[in-house]
Amino acid sequence: MVHSLLQLPLSLLKTAQGHPMLVELKNGETYNGHLVNCDTWMNIHLREVICTSKDGDRFWRMPECYIRGNTIKYLRVPDEVIDKVQEETKTRSDRKPPGVGRGRGRGREDGAGGRAPKGVGRGLDDGGAKGLGGGRGKGGPGGKPGGSRGPVRGRG
Amino acid sequence: MATGPGLESLVDQTISVITNDGRNIVGILKGFDQATNIILDESHERVYSTKEGVQLLVLGLYIIRGDNISVIGELDEELDAHLDLSNLRAHPLKAVIH
Amino acid sequence: MSGRKETVLDLAKFVDKGVQVKLTGGRQVTGTLKGYDQLLNLVLDEAREFLRDPEDPMKTTDQTRQLGLIVCRGTAVMLVSPTDGTDEIANPFVQPDGA
Repeated sequence: MVHSLLQLPLSLLKTAQGHPMLVELKNGETYNGHLVNCDTWMNIHLREVICTSKDGDRFWRMPECYIRGNTIKYLRVPDEVIDKVQEETKTRSDRKPPGVGRGRGRGREDGAGGRAPKGVGRGLDDGGAKGLGGGRGKGGPGGKPGGSRGPVRGRG
Repeated sequence: MATGPGLESLVDQTISVITNDGRNIVGILKGFDQATNIILDESHERVYSTKEGVQLLVLGLYIIRGDNISVIGELDEELDAHLDLSNLRAHPLKAVIH
Repeated sequence: MSGRKETVLDLAKFVDKGVQVKLTGGRQVTGTLKGYDQLLNLVLDEAREFLRDPEDPMKTTDQTRQLGLIVCRGTAVMLVSPTDGTDEIANPFVQPDGA
C-alpha cells in the first residue's frame, strides 16, 4: 500500500491558492477567477472573476466573490498545481518516519486532513489562465482531442 | 484502512466517472477524501451523441465534488484502447433528478 | 488551531456596501449589507430581487422588485459578491472555432 502520492482534494485546492481556476456550480453557472482562499467546506473566495451563465450566453465580471462549497459541481485547476502538491508532500514525507504514507488524517482542522501541507500560499501563474479555454497541457488520451473547450458548454 | 469507498486501490489508475449531470469523465485518480471528492489528472470528458462519434474534451486537472458523482469505475485500459470512439454512437445520459 | 473559525471571506469589508447574493433555488437579490453572522445569515437593506424568467425560473431577468429590509438565511446563500465593480460584459472568451 504505497500510495505516497495520494492527495486530498482539499489539499490540492489549498495548493491552488493564487492560481486561476474554473468553478462550475450545480446550477450550471461557471466562475473563472483566481483562488484567494478556501476552507475545509470547500467554500472558496475568488478574485477577478468572470461569471458565465448556464447557457453560456451572458457574462459578468466581478472583482471578487464568495462561493459556498456545497454548490460546487467541480473545479478545474491548472495542471501544474498537482506537481506542486507532490513536491510538497515529498519534502514533507522526507521528514516523516517511514510507513506513515497516508493515514488517519481525518482531521477537519485546517484546510485538509492530517498530511495537508499547511500554509501553502504560493505564487502564480498559469499561462493559460483565465478562460481555461483550450486544451491545457498534457493532451488527452492519445493526444486526440483537439478539444478547445470554451468556458462553458451548453449542455442539454 | 477505514476509508469507506475503497478508492485507494484505484489511485494512479485511470478511472471513469459519471457525474450527476450525466457527464462521463475519464482521468487518473490522484486523490479522494471522505466525501468522495476526487482529484482527476489528465482528465477528459467523453461526450456521447447519436449524431456523431464520441467527442473528447480535454479537461486536465479536475477536482470533482463527491456530491456530484454518481459512479466511479475502473477503466480497463486495454479494452478501452480497442474502442473506436469516433464511430461510437450513444445517447447522452440524462442528469440525475433529485 | 487557525483553520476553524477564520472565514474564507471577511464580510466586514462589505458592510454598508452593495452586495449581490445568489440563493439556492435560483433567487437573486442585491442590497446594502447591514449585518451578518458566521453562518452567513445576511441582513440586507433596500433589497431588490431580480425577477425570474417565467419560462425558465433558473434564469433571472433585469426586472426587479423591492423587498426592503430582509434577512437572507445563511444555509440558502450560494454566492456573495460586491455589486461595486460587477458588470455584465460581452463574451470575454475566445470562441472555439466552427460555431
